[in-house]
Amino acid sequence: MRKPFYVVLVSLVVLSMLLAACGGAAPTTAVTQPTTPPSAGGAQPTTAPTAAPAAAEATATVKAAVPTAVPTATIAPPKSERATKIEFWHSMAGDIGGKAIPQMANDFNTSQDKCYVTPIYQGSYDDSLNKLKAGLQSNQTPAIVQVYDIGTRLLVDLGVATPVQNYIDKEKYDISDLEGNVLSYYTVDNKLYSMPFNTSTPILYYNKDMFKAAGLDPEKPPRTFDEFAADAAKLTQKDASGKTTVYGAAFAIYGWFFEQFLAVSGGMYVDNNNGRDGFATKATFNGPEGLNIFQWWQKMVNDGVMANYGRKTVDTRNAFLAGQTAMFIDSTAVLRGMMDSTKGKMDIGTAFLPRPTEDAYSKWGTIIGGGSLWIVNNRPTAEQDCAWEFIRFQSSPEEQAYWWTMSGYFPIRKSAYDTTVGKDWSAKYPQYTTAIDQLHQTPVNRVTQGALIGVFPSARATIETGIEEILSGKSTPHFPLDNAAQTVTQAIQDYNASMGLK
Amino acid sequence: MIQGPTQPTESISPPLPAIARGRGLKGVQIRQIKSFTRAMLFLAPSLAIFITFVFIPLVRTFWLSSYLTNPLGKPTVFTGLGQYQRMFSTPELGNSLLRSVLFVLETVPATLLLALILAVLANQRLKGISIFRVVFSITIAVSSATASLIFMYLYHPSIGSLNYFIELLGGTAVPWLTSDKTALTAISMTTVWLQLGLNTVILLAAMQGIPEELYESAMIDGANGWNRFWGITLPFLSSTFFFLVVVDMLAAFQTFTPIQIMTLGGPADSTNLLVYSIYRQFYFNGNYGLAAAQSIVLFIIMLLLTIFQFVFVERKVFYE
Repeated sequence: MRKPFYVVLVSLVVLSMLLAACGGAAPTTAVTQPTTPPSAGGAQPTTAPTAAPAAAEATATVKAAVPTAVPTATIAPPKSERATKIEFWHSMAGDIGGKAIPQMANDFNTSQDKCYVTPIYQGSYDDSLNKLKAGLQSNQTPAIVQVYDIGTRLLVDLGVATPVQNYIDKEKYDISDLEGNVLSYYTVDNKLYSMPFNTSTPILYYNKDMFKAAGLDPEKPPRTFDEFAADAAKLTQKDASGKTTVYGAAFAIYGWFFEQFLAVSGGMYVDNNNGRDGFATKATFNGPEGLNIFQWWQKMVNDGVMANYGRKTVDTRNAFLAGQTAMFIDSTAVLRGMMDSTKGKMDIGTAFLPRPTEDAYSKWGTIIGGGSLWIVNNRPTAEQDCAWEFIRFQSSPEEQAYWWTMSGYFPIRKSAYDTTVGKDWSAKYPQYTTAIDQLHQTPVNRVTQGALIGVFPSARATIETGIEEILSGKSTPHFPLDNAAQTVTQAIQDYNASMGLK
Repeated sequence: MIQGPTQPTESISPPLPAIARGRGLKGVQIRQIKSFTRAMLFLAPSLAIFITFVFIPLVRTFWLSSYLTNPLGKPTVFTGLGQYQRMFSTPELGNSLLRSVLFVLETVPATLLLALILAVLANQRLKGISIFRVVFSITIAVSSATASLIFMYLYHPSIGSLNYFIELLGGTAVPWLTSDKTALTAISMTTVWLQLGLNTVILLAAMQGIPEELYESAMIDGANGWNRFWGITLPFLSSTFFFLVVVDMLAAFQTFTPIQIMTLGGPADSTNLLVYSIYRQFYFNGNYGLAAAQSIVLFIIMLLLTIFQFVFVERKVFYE
């Protein structure tokens, strides 16, 4: 009996090594996949069921050149050996990173023979940023790096980037066609530091069928916080035993959503006008506007009309798709995936992000989320020039229309909507007009430009912990909000001290 | 292990007796120096490794903990003991410590008990028992990342199968990972499941090493199954248990993967164990100095724990 057992043991060990080797690799892809919600603090290891099948279809209709059956588009070799080769680090997983970006790079590489760009997926936004930080010390950096919106202040302060404004000024490059709201986010000290790449805002998604069943007008989604809470109550369904079968609404616990609600309420995240008229020194999101959001959110959960599916936005999306909740908020970037997975089964409506009052609509609005492309300044000038060439290329109307239909992120250029591709798209997915209208109706001011702080990722996580505390019923909204503000203030002050900013 | 480099110096260069000083003793001194050099020569490889990978990082961690660092990790502002002061004045460290202790209590005893039951069952002489042995120890072959993903879907708030079965049996759905009251237990269950295979295999191997004659003579003396288990099996397993307690506790204290994949330390810091909070401070928040200070605290705790185990627990262990 003993001998066979050792044989089993040995084979088990061998098996375990094999499995561990495979198992080790598989989950990493799942975990590091950057969130589809664009601004994706990277804090969220989500596997987003988004644009996968749809993207392939779009490729077929839009660009016949893309081989739809091949999971990852290959990068064609350079046309000329003398071409300046540059690296482009990005954080787009799935079809966006596997097909849309390589296609864009191929288009660029074949359009001229001076520059040759190789896109490299570097994991989530956080992973990529950490690699950049490490690379800066050993001079292993790309010429172009995609960094999330909330990394803007950090990159400016580190002084590692050549502002794209330098090239814009030098070439007298016309930026009047670019979206003003988008540019304003990435403009620091009157300079456009990086070129917006993937941009989006959060919108309200709702189930029209459930609206009808609850006796609500499916064409009149809630516009204010109060209307939202009232509709959520009406949409909530319970079975005979009193168990809730459908929740009126669900918000993922995501710091980005809090920032957006704060902006549509007219609240500033930090002092010095969101850190845009001087360095931020103190968190101010715990003012009356922030408190109102916390109270509103907590009350709906306490009343049993809002579900809590945790931090991962994909879990809330799945609950919506499974018919467990009637409304949720998420990035416009997931609209495409939602439309595709509900085709013929569910009638989805989209609306502006709810505001505290009706008159808030004319004063404030949502903040741009997503990422932008930075030119790293420790590369040779020739490489930086090529980086600019690529950036200019990707911002052309045709490429932007292609990017929009492939990814679901907004075009950064208004004329992209006028291209054939853009027009067909708007006709096919009218839900998209909500997002574009929300973008265009947002006035540009210090509130809607969004905060600039160097410690944004940790600030966002701090807010998320605060929201979890109020939802667990542990305390009144004041304490977690004030505690979060105190933690973030401390982090900002440490950051300023360590960087010598005054 | 750490004793390695210190022991020889003690044994090789004892203090010279006072009377022994003088002309004739030069030879003794030379011999001592020679033997010391020889010893160092033999120890050099391990010393080099220890110095490079243990002592230098330790000293550097101390040094780093007295600075504020910029986002690139460069120490820029000297703060002395400021990081320690802050660490002890905020509730984060206390919470992480409490959570770590709770986690150890929720995982280690449960793992050992279940592994013992499985090992006893697997030690029966039945036809086809080796199939069960494989089944019981299969979790060795599962990486913790895979296990975390599997459990994450079992616990899923809207489509999780665990809640589906609970509701099917008439219970109410449990907010496994989304409530701060249940998240730590959910992670503990994953860890217990994951550790069970290794613990079972080791206990089973130890059981099979117990001499057969002891059981035979006990049976002749009329001992029943329970007596044999209590009087022979358990005492013989005590050294294995000691080993497993140490290993499991260290593993529990250093748990990282399930938390990173399932909760990121949330909800409301309820799964923010000490090691994970150090990771968050270092890689996510970029507070390298604070993370270093926390590491020092962790180091001291682990050191005390190890000393305690070797001094007190090991005495009670019976070695064959």
